[in-house]
Amino acid sequence: MTEYERVRGQSEQAIQNIPEKRNGKRPEIQVKKQGKYGKLTIRDMTLIGLIVAILEVCKAALSFLPNIELVSFWIILFTFFFHKKIFFAIPAFVLIEGLIYGFGMWWFSYLYVWPLLALVSYLFRRQESVWFWSILSSVFGLFFGFMCAISYAAVGVVDGGLRSGLHTGFVWWVAGIKMDIIHAVGNFVLMMVLYHPVSMSMKKLVSTYTFDSSI
Amino acid sequence: MNSKSGNGNRKIVIGIIGLVVLIGLFVIVYNVFREKPVEGSKSITIEVVNRAEEKTSYELKTDAEYLRQAMEEAEGLTFSGAESEYGMMVETVNDETADYNVDGAYWGFFVNGEYCNYGIDTQPVEDGDVFSIVYTIGE
Repeated sequence: MTEYERVRGQSEQAIQNIPEKRNGKRPEIQVKKQGKYGKLTIRDMTLIGLIVAILEVCKAALSFLPNIELVSFWIILFTFFFHKKIFFAIPAFVLIEGLIYGFGMWWFSYLYVWPLLALVSYLFRRQESVWFWSILSSVFGLFFGFMCAISYAAVGVVDGGLRSGLHTGFVWWVAGIKMDIIHAVGNFVLMMVLYHPVSMSMKKLVSTYTFDSSI
Repeated sequence: MNSKSGNGNRKIVIGIIGLVVLIGLFVIVYNVFREKPVEGSKSITIEVVNRAEEKTSYELKTDAEYLRQAMEEAEGLTFSGAESEYGMMVETVNDETADYNVDGAYWGFFVNGEYCNYGIDTQPVEDGDVFSIVYTIGE
């Protein structure tokens, strides 16, 4: 008996032992449905892995430029093409960021800042105007520090009350406004330059590999 | 068709104007509320507490706007570190290096007993300030 036959024989034996089979009924494959997330396929998971890899590589590649980043651009584009799948990629990206750079206060703001960008992009996913996305990306960059200041304010509130917390958050936000303006300008320019070429390439790739945007 | 295109262009222009106005507002907020350095002659103290918890004090009069310049003016105080987008990250003070990668040690900066909110390049200096630079081992 070859190895193949031996394994096959064992499988058939295992099927014979299924109670339903013994009763002469067609054995039912027990695939537990897990709501809408149960539809994630291997292809989806591969795609999500690729999205996370692209986010990480682009972030690392531009890390030498203060507040010039491609993460916003990619999250908008990926949401545009892959819709809700981005909400699986972002937690993985945020977790990896924490593992690489440490779980500081900034990390907690990542937990809501990036999903918020994806959510807004998802709501406006039918928009195709490069101007619209450039402005959206720019506004996101401009408010990035403000949104991150919320977690600093929250810690301040816990430590010293509401007034102290708001002051901490406000001081932290104001100190970084210069960097937020750089972020806004960078996001605007990157979106203006990259939106058309990248979205055209992605359209081709998506149609070639028949990625399904639904989950 | 032309009407639609004109409508789209108008939205774009409104969007751009809105963005520029927002940036302008942010600039105003920054200029009004940011921590402003005090100019003029200021008396300050810089204390260095090394790994052995020995304290060395440097008292100086300075016109420095930010702590880094004041530290450079303090006679006998030496320091170095890595330059980053946030200014210098101080690694060595008075020839003693705090290496976070080895034992979690770093140089903690305090102003009047409070933890500094800024790096040394942006920490404002005010008359009467007492700065402490403390060798700290993270937990």
